Amino acid sequence: MKYMNLTIDQLHDLLVNKEVTPLDLAKEAIELAKKDTNNAFEYIMEKEALEIASKLTEPEIDNPLWGIPFAIKDNISTKDVPTTASSNILNGYVPLFNATVVEKLLNKHAVPIGKTTLDELAMGGTGTSGHLGMTYNPYDETHTRLAGGSSCGSAAATSAPIVPFALGSDTGDSIRKPASFVGLVGLKPTWSRISRYGLFPFAPSLDTVGFFTRSVKDCAYLLNVTSGRDENDSTSSTKPVDDYVSLINKPVKGLKIATIRQINNAIKDEEVLKAFNNTIEQLKKEGVIVDEIDLDLNMLASIFPTYFVISCSEATSNNANLDGIKFGPYCEGNTYQEVMFNARTKGFSELIKRRFVFGSYALMRENQQELFLRAQKNRRKIVNAINEILSQYDFIYTIAAPSVAPKKDESSDRLNEEYLIADNHLALGNFAGLPSITIPIGLKNKLPFGANVMARAFEEAKLFQISEKIEQITGLKNLNAKEVK
Amino acid sequence: MKEYNKEILKDAANRLLFDMTDEQYDTLLNEFDIITKQMEIIGKDSLIDDLEPMVFPFECSTSYLREDVPSTPLDKEDAIKNAQNKQEGQIKLPKVVL
Repeated sequence: MKYMNLTIDQLHDLLVNKEVTPLDLAKEAIELAKKDTNNAFEYIMEKEALEIASKLTEPEIDNPLWGIPFAIKDNISTKDVPTTASSNILNGYVPLFNATVVEKLLNKHAVPIGKTTLDELAMGGTGTSGHLGMTYNPYDETHTRLAGGSSCGSAAATSAPIVPFALGSDTGDSIRKPASFVGLVGLKPTWSRISRYGLFPFAPSLDTVGFFTRSVKDCAYLLNVTSGRDENDSTSSTKPVDDYVSLINKPVKGLKIATIRQINNAIKDEEVLKAFNNTIEQLKKEGVIVDEIDLDLNMLASIFPTYFVISCSEATSNNANLDGIKFGPYCEGNTYQEVMFNARTKGFSELIKRRFVFGSYALMRENQQELFLRAQKNRRKIVNAINEILSQYDFIYTIAAPSVAPKKDESSDRLNEEYLIADNHLALGNFAGLPSITIPIGLKNKLPFGANVMARAFEEAKLFQISEKIEQITGLKNLNAKEVK
Repeated sequence: MKEYNKEILKDAANRLLFDMTDEQYDTLLNEFDIITKQMEIIGKDSLIDDLEPMVFPFECSTSYLREDVPSTPLDKEDAIKNAQNKQEGQIKLPKVVL
């Protein structure tokens, strides 16, 4: 490997100095993708990437994405390139258009090299439920540990490292949790900041497009070019786009951070806690004000059921169009209902069906008040509490996951505090639509773990400012599996 | 939560136009037991009764009139490109009126 272990920033310098060409980079990324042993790819865009890269001959000094290879989660539409969302019901589907986020990156002459695996239809948090099977954590050669999900392939490809960045999507923690498990920076921007045109919807009141990178600054570059109003997505924000790199390296003195005692207490891994507390001590030395505050334990424990009810309910109606008629494998039947019935029975995995049934049950007239509407009311209560904290603090700082990446068969008791709070609190960012970023803060037995910072809506520039300081403190910029192993 | 049993869940699945195996319905029933217990956390909280259900994270209103710019819609060939069962430029399905 010559280049793919470098950050966007470093690659840009080499490209501008003509020490390497976009074609060299694309070829290297494609070769690495072909040799991938972590099941990170649905489709390698060899022909497309080489065609794009070979046309890039004159470096653009002011465009850090010029000639940079990247990967795309396979629930994001790519024109003339198969897009399956890792579901059998979309086998063979080829979109007729690019998602806006893809189009914006292509306009900046970034080079897509492949589509990455995910939990089927992005509904899952383990990286095990896609139609190609489990995606492995690049830090674990025994192939027993999770990369996390749902954006498992994008996480594995950026961490391996095969590409310097990848696109993901985040509805509950689908970028930020895997980022913790594979030692990456993972950003879920403010809801509505990046257009979702072309993203397969899972739960649109929570869905967000985001990225995996190996440095905070790279994340800021990407947000600069992918944000903004898109008339094809009526929920995209009309707020002006900031220069998200502008506050990086600026002093952090006087910024105020809240950590939440009940989340900290739910983390049982002493090594993770120690690393987290160390970053807090170092931030204090930089003049950051850090307070540990209290939130109601029951409210925190209600995050997961609230998320589950809302997301399943939204998903069950959003995916009604997957019927095996307009696209996807056709299954014979005597009536058109039978055609759909057979296609959906065969096309969806068990996990997806269970979620759809639950969502449908929660939406039934006789249950709606008690389940769906109650979950939506509880969402408001939680969001009010979070926004109250952020009226007094710039950031909420938490440990991203209970520990390092778990093994596939390590099951959680889904009623205990560690599962309900430590494993699921990142959905707070989705409930409130807030920008939220995971950054690596340590390694335990050569397995990475991360922390998460959440800021007020549309304050990504400040979020990058504090995150980059944490990156400096930990010294874990450009962490990747190959070099740690 | 209201009553649920295998028949109710099977009916819900069938109305969603798919089916599952008996074992899968059993797994789903277990999942319902767990989520019921989790939902009790919310159920106990009377303070949320008067809150408005939250549909989106924050207000996001769109009221614009697009410029009247002519554009080319999908042509017929593209529109049916992804359908596997087609004939004479149309998606083919079993007869609706027999």
